[in-house]
Amino acid sequence: MGRPKKITLKEAAALIQDGDMISFSGFTIWRRPMALVYEMIRQNKKNLHLFEVNGGTHTEVLAGAGAIRIWESCWVGHELYGKLGEAIARGQIEGSIIVEDYSHGHVVARLLAGSYGLPYMPCALSMGTDILNPEFDMLRKAGLRDGSNPKIPAMKYAIVEDPFFGMGELLLMPAANPDWALVYASQVGDEGTVRVFAQTYTDAEVIRAADKVIVIAEEIVPESYIRQEPEKNLVPGYAIDYIVELPWAAHPTGSQGYYDVDADFIRNLYAASKSQDGFNRWAEEWIFGVEGHEEYLEKIGVTRLEQLRANRVLGYSTRMKRGSR
Amino acid sequence: MMADKKDYAKPGEYKPIDLLAVAAAREVRDGDVVFAGTGLPMLAIMLAQLTTAPTSVCIYEAGSIDGRPIDLPSSVGDARCVYQASLATGLTEAFFGQLHRGYVDLAFLGGAEIDKYGNVNTTVVGNYLTPSKRFTGSGGNPDINSLARRTVFVMVQEKRRFRENVDYITSPGWRLLKWPSGEWISKKDLYGKFFRGGPEAVITNMGVFRFDEEGVMYLDTVHPGFTPEQVRDNCSFDLNISRVRGETKPPTYEELELLYTKVDPAGIFLP
Repeated sequence: MGRPKKITLKEAAALIQDGDMISFSGFTIWRRPMALVYEMIRQNKKNLHLFEVNGGTHTEVLAGAGAIRIWESCWVGHELYGKLGEAIARGQIEGSIIVEDYSHGHVVARLLAGSYGLPYMPCALSMGTDILNPEFDMLRKAGLRDGSNPKIPAMKYAIVEDPFFGMGELLLMPAANPDWALVYASQVGDEGTVRVFAQTYTDAEVIRAADKVIVIAEEIVPESYIRQEPEKNLVPGYAIDYIVELPWAAHPTGSQGYYDVDADFIRNLYAASKSQDGFNRWAEEWIFGVEGHEEYLEKIGVTRLEQLRANRVLGYSTRMKRGSR
Repeated sequence: MMADKKDYAKPGEYKPIDLLAVAAAREVRDGDVVFAGTGLPMLAIMLAQLTTAPTSVCIYEAGSIDGRPIDLPSSVGDARCVYQASLATGLTEAFFGQLHRGYVDLAFLGGAEIDKYGNVNTTVVGNYLTPSKRFTGSGGNPDINSLARRTVFVMVQEKRRFRENVDYITSPGWRLLKWPSGEWISKKDLYGKFFRGGPEAVITNMGVFRFDEEGVMYLDTVHPGFTPEQVRDNCSFDLNISRVRGETKPPTYEELELLYTKVDPAGIFLP
């Protein structure tokens, strides 16, 4: 425990080991720690076990770079800016990625159990679907439910009879406790108290469930400021292990209060991701072709970033063209 | 003579997507707590709030509860969703605090394939173990469809999408699979005391479908310009067209004006 340590982006990525189980903050194309994802790829991370409530642009970049071995989730895409997750799809079809499909509620239940220190969480969600088809338990089929990996539960789920009120059958979802929570947060106090703006998604659950937590902060603010309104905060500083302060670290995903989703950037990535060659070229330009985050931002340019910058009152950009009119 | 705002628009005066949005909006009852996804569902709930269901409220699964956006969100996680919301929270609140607890009356959902019982596939094409194509995956679709009182699917009408059996049951219809055996069972029997309802309607570019007492899909109304037989020809299963009530009511001039000037003036989802 104790206070979190301030480190650099390169140091943060170096902490993550091949084969680690990771999870992210955010929701689809919002508040993803993209700068850290890019740096992990520059450092050639492999065989990652990604557990997440839903995938998004960050998932596709990791999958396209061949960094993911296991993906436990329920959804991947880029919302309006890319309707499928092409790299995950390619990995699933080719067999290079083990995909374990759940539903949103199932994954939330698994995180809730993990975040409360419980071995499982009951729910009555998505019963009767092929998500629960025993033939489609892909981690079991791969021989990975034998107890050799403590992060993989012995069963995908269990069906039990309610012992208290005669509610009938329901599901038990096993806890998820990733090695790492990789979080992008709006503001972090200099002692580590975390605050996010607008929707909280599953950020608090991911932080509590994980063994270790790296927070990429849009800005570090005085602890005395963030403690003036403690009801707006997400988790205490002692829950955080490492902090990196890095403005625009969620680009091209959006950060409420700071900047909007860079739709054109994601559309271009999505188009490129439709083939492995296309993705490789994209990665050569935007990940390997820049030295780090500063050079990446310079390449995007001030004009573009200013279009994305959020209106201070509304929390989102009012200067970019979003639709056809 | 000026047309009255409440008059129905004539063929050619509206686009297929306008009719989809309007037909979906008409499924909202005033006071409903509505769980909506990205796209057409957003248009439908916002239009309903401006017309026939002013006290209905909207929950987006990313965690905004009863937002009152002044700019149309591009996705459910969008910063725009939380404007004037009663709560800005997360998925635990949306899925467990709201949905699982039983607050959700109506949900709008989508899908790539549907069968005659309302089972929907949004996961893969082909055998799950050797798929030829992967879609986005379930998202919250099956959870919401499990425990909302009524769900309405908005889909594209194609023979290959309306199937006797879908390749993968992502989201539960009226008859589904009991695990671990995999035998067919009615949703009511499987969900027991958790049962609250299920698919109420399917709205496509050709018609509005509903489900009979056995949980089997039938054609309820056909959109202007189509015949029931044409709709049946665009289903792989033998669609019941004996209960057709008539034509789907087209959008009114007022609904069209609201859609293009109030709901989506920037053209995010409407052309």
